[in-house]
Amino acid sequence: MQGSLVDHTSLLLLGAGLTLWFWGSWPLLENRSYLSKLHALSVADTLGSALMLLGLLLRIPGQWPLLTLALLGLIVWNTIFGYVLAACSLPARDSTQAGEQR
Amino acid sequence: MTVLLWGMVLALLIPIAVACRPTNVWHRLAAFSSVSSKVALIILVVSVGRGDWMLGLVGVIVLSAGNAGLLLLANLLREVER
Amino acid sequence: MRNLLPLLLSIGFRLALWCLLTSDLSWLNLLIGLVVALLLPRARSRPLPLRALLLATSRSLLAIPQAYGEALRLIFAPAVEEREASEPATDRALPLLVFLDVFRITLTPFTIVLGLEDDGRRYRIHSLMPASKQDGSRL
Repeated sequence: MQGSLVDHTSLLLLGAGLTLWFWGSWPLLENRSYLSKLHALSVADTLGSALMLLGLLLRIPGQWPLLTLALLGLIVWNTIFGYVLAACSLPARDSTQAGEQR
Repeated sequence: MTVLLWGMVLALLIPIAVACRPTNVWHRLAAFSSVSSKVALIILVVSVGRGDWMLGLVGVIVLSAGNAGLLLLANLLREVER
Repeated sequence: MRNLLPLLLSIGFRLALWCLLTSDLSWLNLLIGLVVALLLPRARSRPLPLRALLLATSRSLLAIPQAYGEALRLIFAPAVEEREASEPATDRALPLLVFLDVFRITLTPFTIVLGLEDDGRRYRIHSLMPASKQDGSRL
């Protein structure tokens, strides 16, 4: 009983992560502003993937050190990368796209 | 688990399609970062499904090395565009 | 003590990463990790106020569950609006604190830091909020 409960919880977490992936990746296909895409991507790639990693962690608790490392790396790297992408695209946006988005 | 894997591959196709379309280079970079973390997660899920932890190690390393290359590329592009 | 803190912090952080990576707590492995942590080059350290550091760390950790709440509210929001705002920065002098602040703000899906303005005294923030306030999708 215990095992099946853990299994179901982990499947639930993985499914929730997948839902977040789809929700966050879909705006990439649409014609939206660059920064709103980045907001959506931070939902999909950071939060959704973190949920999936938690689901995997429930499935194989034996490998927790490496999975914890992966979780840490994922959250920190993706967040900082989002910031760097936003900050670095700023001069380009200001000069070329500012007129286009109004 | 198989359904999950298919779903993940489908989700992976979205940023790949975006990266293949002719768009702004920044949109493309964002799509590539998305591809990188999605692929790493798929590697991890596959490794759990097969019970082969060597594969999982690769995924963990990819995740923790992260998007360091893309990060450098973004900085470089900003300097070029200036 | 205040001068020693950054050193201890960086060594401890590296050792923790090493232990997670190798998942082995034997003495030999710990020793190797310690040597590696000491040998890696260090940034020039500055005295670090412990209280501010703890505050910033706890706020960053609290931001993680908050981020999920905001993500859910964003998903169920019927419409969103974009805005640019700015927020006063805590302390320009300490790179670690600035890093933690940027991390905390960018992690939550509503807001992304665009950079520092005003000579580093304020963060420029782009935010994406659910449009209507009376929507009531509190989760």
